[in-house]
Amino acid sequence: MVKFIIRRLGFMLLTMFIVSIAIFAISEIAPGNIARNILGPFATPEQEASFLAQLGLDQPLHIRYITWLVGSDWRAERLIGMPLRRIKKPDTEFYEWWAVEPDGTLVRWKLDGEDLIALRLQPDGTVQESLDNERWQTDEAGISTFWGVDTHNRAVMWEKGGGQTYWMRAKAAGWWVEQPGGAREYIPLQKGLLRGDPGESVKTGRPVGDALLRRLQNSILLAAIAFVIVMPLALVLGLLAGLNEGKALDRILSVGGLATTATPNFATGIFLILIFAVWLKWLPGATVFASERAAFENPKMLILPVMTLTLIELGYVLRITRASMVEVMNASYIRTAFLKGLPYWRIVFKHAIRNALMAPITVIMLHVNWLMGGIVVVEAIFGFPGLGRYLLDAALYKDVFAIEAGAMVMVMLAVGTQLVADIIYTFLNPRIRYA
Amino acid sequence: MAVSEKVMPSISARPSFWLRLRDALAPLLASKVALVGLALVLFWVLVAIFAPFLTPYSPREQDADAMNLGPSAGHPLGTDHLGRDLWSRLVYGSRLILVLAPLSVLCSLAVGTTLGLLAGYFGGLIDEVVMRLLDAMMAFPAVLLYLIIIAAVGASATNVVIAITIAGAPGIARLVRSLTMDIRTRDYIAAAQLRGESPFYIMWVEILPNARGPIIVDAMLRVGYAVFAIGTLGFLGLGLPPPAPDWGSMVCAGRRYIWSNPWAVLWPSLAISSLVVGLNLFADGLREETMRYQ
Amino acid sequence: MRVDFEQITDMDYRIKTPILKVENLAISYETRKGDVPAVRDVSFEIRRGETHGIVGESGCGKSTVAFSIVNFLGRNGRIVGGSILFQGQELRGRGEEELRRLRGDQIAMVYQDPMSALNPSLRIGDQLSEVLIVHRNLSKKAAYEKCIDMLKRVYMPDPEAVMLRYPHQLSGGQQQRVVIAMALLNNPALLIMDEPTTALDVTVEAAVLDLIDELRREFDTAIMYISHNLGVIARVSDLVGVMYAGEMVERAAVEEVFLNPLHPYTQGLMRCVPKLGLSKESSYLYPIRGRVPSPAELPPGCIFEPRCDYARPQCQQAHPELREVAPGHFARCHFAEEIAAQKWQPPQDLIPDLAALAARKPEVAEPILRLQQVKTYYEQERKSLASLLGLGQARYVKAVDDVSLEVPRGCTLGVVGESGCGKSTLAKTIVGLEPLTDGRVEFMGFDISVPVSKRDLSLIKELQMVFQNPDSTMNPSFSVGYQIGRPLRRFRGVPRHQVRDEVIRLLEAVKLDASYYDRLPRQLSGGEKQRVGIARAFAARPNLVLCDEPVSSLDVSVQAAVLNLLLEIQQKYGTTMLFIAHDLSVVRFFSDFVAVMYLGKICEIGPAEAIYAPPYHPYTEALLSAVPIPDPSADQKRIRLSGTVPSALHPPSGCRFHTRCPRKIGEICEREIPPCQHVTAEHRIYCHIPLEELRRIEPVVTVK
Ligand SMILES: Nc1ncnc2c1ncn2[C@@H]1O[C@H](COP(=O)(O)OP(=O)(O)OP(=O)(O)O)[C@@H](O)[C@H]1O
Ligand code: SF4
Ligand code: SF4
Ligand SMILES: [Mg+2]
Repeated sequence: MVKFIIRRLGFMLLTMFIVSIAIFAISEIAPGNIARNILGPFATPEQEASFLAQLGLDQPLHIRYITWLVGSDWRAERLIGMPLRRIKKPDTEFYEWWAVEPDGTLVRWKLDGEDLIALRLQPDGTVQESLDNERWQTDEAGISTFWGVDTHNRAVMWEKGGGQTYWMRAKAAGWWVEQPGGAREYIPLQKGLLRGDPGESVKTGRPVGDALLRRLQNSILLAAIAFVIVMPLALVLGLLAGLNEGKALDRILSVGGLATTATPNFATGIFLILIFAVWLKWLPGATVFASERAAFENPKMLILPVMTLTLIELGYVLRITRASMVEVMNASYIRTAFLKGLPYWRIVFKHAIRNALMAPITVIMLHVNWLMGGIVVVEAIFGFPGLGRYLLDAALYKDVFAIEAGAMVMVMLAVGTQLVADIIYTFLNPRIRYA
Repeated sequence: MAVSEKVMPSISARPSFWLRLRDALAPLLASKVALVGLALVLFWVLVAIFAPFLTPYSPREQDADAMNLGPSAGHPLGTDHLGRDLWSRLVYGSRLILVLAPLSVLCSLAVGTTLGLLAGYFGGLIDEVVMRLLDAMMAFPAVLLYLIIIAAVGASATNVVIAITIAGAPGIARLVRSLTMDIRTRDYIAAAQLRGESPFYIMWVEILPNARGPIIVDAMLRVGYAVFAIGTLGFLGLGLPPPAPDWGSMVCAGRRYIWSNPWAVLWPSLAISSLVVGLNLFADGLREETMRYQ
Repeated sequence: MRVDFEQITDMDYRIKTPILKVENLAISYETRKGDVPAVRDVSFEIRRGETHGIVGESGCGKSTVAFSIVNFLGRNGRIVGGSILFQGQELRGRGEEELRRLRGDQIAMVYQDPMSALNPSLRIGDQLSEVLIVHRNLSKKAAYEKCIDMLKRVYMPDPEAVMLRYPHQLSGGQQQRVVIAMALLNNPALLIMDEPTTALDVTVEAAVLDLIDELRREFDTAIMYISHNLGVIARVSDLVGVMYAGEMVERAAVEEVFLNPLHPYTQGLMRCVPKLGLSKESSYLYPIRGRVPSPAELPPGCIFEPRCDYARPQCQQAHPELREVAPGHFARCHFAEEIAAQKWQPPQDLIPDLAALAARKPEVAEPILRLQQVKTYYEQERKSLASLLGLGQARYVKAVDDVSLEVPRGCTLGVVGESGCGKSTLAKTIVGLEPLTDGRVEFMGFDISVPVSKRDLSLIKELQMVFQNPDSTMNPSFSVGYQIGRPLRRFRGVPRHQVRDEVIRLLEAVKLDASYYDRLPRQLSGGEKQRVGIARAFAARPNLVLCDEPVSSLDVSVQAAVLNLLLEIQQKYGTTMLFIAHDLSVVRFFSDFVAVMYLGKICEIGPAEAIYAPPYHPYTEALLSAVPIPDPSADQKRIRLSGTVPSALHPPSGCRFHTRCPRKIGEICEREIPPCQHVTAEHRIYCHIPLEELRRIEPVVTVK
């Protein structure tokens, strides 16, 4: 069995690998769109190119994939010749990259005209500026270059003296300036997904990872409440329906279950809002939290989203359980149990339920994919600040890094639950356990 | 020997067309659930076909004097925030969805069936590779896949169809693969191999027709999912671009005015729910009945 | 209503009152097409210590009768008439709770397919002990001890360990033993067994039948034993009831039924089954014409009338009653006495065939098919991660291992062996459906050691196959005409407009008429599908036809017709055949040469008559002594194999049979592969025992 689990783990990793490539490939197909999205329709092609270069989007796809997956700092470290370090800026959610000098001081640079200025972080948190032109390396053609870290968390190759001018877009200010010296190449510094840093949001400039984590907590809270309500209810109702196959109770439960599952999630949500918020005015129709962490502030706001999710899942689980129960109750070994003269409820509890629950548990876990779809929609309907909504906003804005990271998290959850389902299944099924 | 004649089952050699049609419909007519489903679906199909006769308004006609109205004689279901007639938008929206949904299912059927047949029939490495890819695809929550695809290529009717095709094909491929692997072991396949038939012939002529039952039921359910998905995309603002009378987009647009004009979100929600539920009831009833017949 | 037997001391009462008395039982199933009277007017009684056999072809209502006794007929079944007296008390109309107390306590049941009869997710111990816990209120510990005792009594090896296992960890024979032990736990008064050995191999079946017989004597139980196999019924029963289309048509003591059958149907059945030792030269199978009527469309008079050779006008009008024709011998026929007095004459239309078949005598010709050290291994699916990456050792199922044989032109080679011995794989290897691992297959002088996809069409045409399962032999989506026509067009280039005529000619050759041309497979019965399969195989006029168990899933009367048909066609086209079957009587009847296989190897091969007489290979001897013979007077040596067939993944060293061989001579059998000993030029035995000693073995079966 250990072998089995290891094998499943192997497949899971393989799947995640393929998925990561797929997500990456799909979402980076049209990077031009991002530039237009942010720069607006009037940017010149040079500006666009420069913009893309600053985001590292001009690199070939495989380099970008590697950067995204395992980061770019190690690549930059070799070019700069100094170790790099990422620190959290105090009292904000932003991170800063610094180069580490041999004595341990953190340093980065900026270009002022043709002068290189070193910024050194002092222990008290202030930054000390000093001219640092001796670091330029000049070649025969008189062009001086230098690889360093800039103030926007990029490794940059600065260049001057080629007689060229450089378009720079000040990231914070948003306007474009022409300069005699400038950056020729950028490597946006990133630790990479596998090292917990999926990059920065193109839209907000904030690190994706932290935002995701908070959103994920909210979503999991929502899903967990729904799960706790749905599972016992649906399993019990499904078993009841299965035991009464063909009778009125079964008919009502299975057709009702089909209808609630089939109704599109957003329609279910809309109906509930209309009934409970608009007409009856019992409950708020949207979740408006003062902060993203405030899911508990107003539990009343959770009622409708949870109800929507419950309705969506209830019917499905119920029907699967019912079908499984019907199948088991018609199996030969149940006939044997009857012919052994066992009391009805003993047959149901001892012989039927365990076998009947085997199928639903896996199917339900596989259904997590569906549930996530539901969560995206529910969060969109109620404005709930969760992972789904984050992704939706990112998709609408083509916020590449946010989409990629969010998608990976979602897929990881989906595949992870499937693994858990497999393991539960092996525990329930002695045929695999003792294989 | 009149008596012994009676003993033989009375199967005429070529049953007439009507008899065969009756046979084919028998399971359907036997299930009330399937009939209710069929009625719902037929209602929308008829509405879609006769759209121009059912409403005097065009779905895009705006009327600044009649914004966010409730139901009235002039506008039986009311108007939306731009003064467009809701009934006529629903009616024309049904055309849109009843074309796009089956179309995307057909596309995923084509892709999925081919992959499933290849993987199931040849097995081995082909199967392994195809299945690993499909596993990866199936690991995506469908909505996520739509989000990524639409985010990458933009919202349009074609892209919606493409997204749904991509999301649907793996499921069909898996189904067809398992059916193929089962049918492949039947003796008539061995008989075909012993006639030296090409793998192509065996896959498409010998195997596929025998897999059609479950595939048809599955496809029917998938049309339901496709309607569901198109609606959801519309609702999320990733569906057809604005003026189109897409039901999901109607809900999306009307949501801002839900307090002042609930009708604008109620009707399209009802419409899409009735269509999807109808399709599901129909497919489900059909499946139950065909299973009972076997 | 528990009747406590310990308190009834009056011996007379015990002997006189039957445990089970069924009178005029009638059962109907409700279906969409109306009520189907599945069982009508069935009466019989079973006494203490008696085994009552019930025999009949599929669908004649055997299981329905069995389940009606415990009132477990499913949702749509209903007892509509008659009475069921259990120990003198009426069972019909009793409440569910009362019946429940009886089931598993006083009345126990064992039915087919032991694997699905046991709950896959509960331990054997729990499944056994709960019978005692529920009915006897025993403590768990006491119940466990009794269960272990019972397992010992059914000769289960290592019962303590078995109690802790799950069903899938036992072999089929062991599972059936568990089910039987479960049934016997409460020492029931009545044991109902519905085809308990049908899913098992002959050697296992023989052991289970022995066990049943022994337990019956020991426990003095009344047993109702249901089977479609006349041989099994002859072996276990004291009394036999023959069922046909829902009615019991004959009932008598076992010798009476088999040696002196009165009803034309019973007589017909006896003539359908090949007797062990009879061959196609010396005998002929007389199939019953027509087919069993469906219970929804019964003939008005005698239900057997449409198929009866003795039918008279009266039979169409009056429905015969089951009456006592001779003392203790009941038959449902108006003319039973007359028929008993007459000697049976084959009907006119069969006589010419008989003459033709008697005339045949294949002269031994040059071999058309020659196998040299053929090996077919299946690579075991490897599930570990390492093996996925191509590391690790590949493991092989040696399905066919080093088989050499020759088939002369125009002759039939029969292949017998228990399931999993590699018979089918051998056939598939020859036709090219499985790739050869090693060795060489030669056909008509050509090397055909490549898969079918790499063979030339003209060679493919010469090698065709008839399959086992009638339900999967035809593609359900296409008409009979299309499926027979396809090989015609591919192989013989019959032009489109002539295909229909040619197909109809072929249909007629397999005794079907032109109206079948447009039928779909689901409109055919099993026997008809098999005929179409034969027509399709012979359409290309192949030189060699491989039949993989072509009749084993057919009822005996249909089986006879299909066997005759195969013989006739073979005669007509001079085809060579490889005939695979697990039924030794059928193989003996059909084949000129026989090969006996065990675990992928041939143990013995030679002319048919030589295989069935000493000298035997020890395995052949064991097989022969296990075959159920439909003749209660036959005397059969009792050799039972212990254990089960080892896995083909790790076959035993030396002689593969050594783990079970009752004549194993010592360590040499485990160490060395047995040599090939030639009894005659054609008859080979692979065994370490010297031929002289093998020659001294007595014949296994002697018919008085
Ligand atoms: N496709 C396969 N893959 C792996 N093992 C196989 C395969 N087919 C057969 N085997 C194994 O090969 C051995 C011989 O199988 P085969 O089907 O030839 O036996 P058989 O005598 O025809 O049995 P039966 O009477 O049950 O049909 C068995 O151990 C079986 O489990
Ligand atoms: S009653 Fe007539 S038809 Fe029936 S078995 Fe006797 S002779 Fe034949
Ligand atoms: S070689 Fe030995 S084990 Fe094998 S059959 Fe002969 S006596 Fe038995
Ligand atoms: Mg076989």
